[in-house]
Amino acid sequence: MPDIIVQYQTEIWQSIEETFVMVGFSILAAIILGLPVGTFLFLCRKGQLLENRVVFSILNLFVNIVRSFPFLLFVVFLIPFTRLIVGTAIGTMAATIPLSIMAIAYYSRLVEQALLDVPKGVIEAATAMGASILEIIYKFILVEARAGLVLGLTTSTISFISYSTIMGVVGGGGIGDFAIRYGYQRFETELMIYMIIIMLVFVQIIQFTGATIARKIDKR
Amino acid sequence: MQALGKNGIPTKIVVIDDIGIWFRYNGRGYCTFQKEERGIIVISIHNVSKSYHQQNIAYQAISNVTLNVNKGEIHGIIGASGAGKSTLLRLMNLLEVPDAGEVLINNQELTKLRGRSLRKARQTIGMIFQHFNLVANKTVYNNVLVSLELANYPKKDRRARVTECLKFVGLETHADKYPAQLSGGQKQRVAIARALANQPEVLLCDEPTSALDPNTTAEILEVLQTINQQLGVTIVIVSHEMEVIKSICNRVSVMEKGQIFDTVNIMPKGFTTPDKNPQWFVDQLTKAGDLHHA
Repeated sequence: MPDIIVQYQTEIWQSIEETFVMVGFSILAAIILGLPVGTFLFLCRKGQLLENRVVFSILNLFVNIVRSFPFLLFVVFLIPFTRLIVGTAIGTMAATIPLSIMAIAYYSRLVEQALLDVPKGVIEAATAMGASILEIIYKFILVEARAGLVLGLTTSTISFISYSTIMGVVGGGGIGDFAIRYGYQRFETELMIYMIIIMLVFVQIIQFTGATIARKIDKR
Repeated sequence: MQALGKNGIPTKIVVIDDIGIWFRYNGRGYCTFQKEERGIIVISIHNVSKSYHQQNIAYQAISNVTLNVNKGEIHGIIGASGAGKSTLLRLMNLLEVPDAGEVLINNQELTKLRGRSLRKARQTIGMIFQHFNLVANKTVYNNVLVSLELANYPKKDRRARVTECLKFVGLETHADKYPAQLSGGQKQRVAIARALANQPEVLLCDEPTSALDPNTTAEILEVLQTINQQLGVTIVIVSHEMEVIKSICNRVSVMEKGQIFDTVNIMPKGFTTPDKNPQWFVDQLTKAGDLHHA
């Protein structure tokens, strides 16, 4: 083990934990809210089951606005809102708010794209069998799109890790922030490189796991 | 007893079978004095119209069509592409909602139903499609099971019912496979099992053999005929393939430009199960040549 890592191990472990908290909350938000938002985006499109121009436009606008923000600005812009929800705008928990909102917007777009791959005929067959909208979603659309949904979540998670690196601006911490403060700003280039390697390993593991699961559950 | 078909007088008895007594009719087809259940109307389409809008241009897919399908018959719908065959079929379970007119299944007016009651009614109408429309991520077993789940079929009887349906189409050994591991004909048989699971009275078939080769086409037609004869299911079959229509239908509507041009009674001429032997193909080819000389 390189001396420098041993020297900073407490800080490193803490920063890894912070990254996990921030990314974990983002993934939760993506699944709990991004999945329904994406499903609605899909269902409200022209020609789909719940075709509704107003709802589609509102959701579409939300996703586009959030995603077109430079993320750093978005974090700052959201400070009053974060304070309202968490009670403070500083710290790891506060950092999860802008990250989660970005996660919802990001994943919902990927969900919409994954659902668009479901053959129209399958939805038609479900309708002909007398399935309700909820049944069509749970028993047909989500089942058919599951590999795409997992791949989308994999891509999203990796993006969340990348987004989480700038959470230092609101004291969010994390590996990225640690690498910048100790590695870059204190000229410990070696430490910075080790931190980059840790992130790289994480991303590799996530990508491999996601791709493997997607391949296993895809029977198409 | 009453002869079906249009204002002609049957002239000569051709054959008597278990469907009815068949007559030569106006030199162009057959009609029948049909037995007991014939004549009960299962599907009734009354003055139905349907138009589509594409970039603000209205396109009349079905205009003012009236059609009755009798219980127990295999009713064919044929016509050039764009004639409205599929649309007419899809109106029968309200996959397409008509702009005007009524659709009745077993005297229940589908066009008046909404929400839950429409879904309940749809569960008694089976449907199969040209591209099978199975859920690729579900096993054969689960594809059939889902149809029972939707209809709230008693939980403890589901397994037996799925197996029974798969047996009926000869796929009980394939229950754990996924659709991607099956041939086209097998996929269509799974779709048929799925459509039959809830014991429908009516089976709607939208180009059921158009994606299949001649061998599997015969195989599927045989299954459909068995369903009609053994289970008494009324079948409506849309196809652009004349051979398919001729082989199993006993009544056929010919469509043109969104209207029914004529409805005729015919005698199903059966289907030859083609050989896998290449010589069969050669024979078929030379036979066509003979026709040319004649």
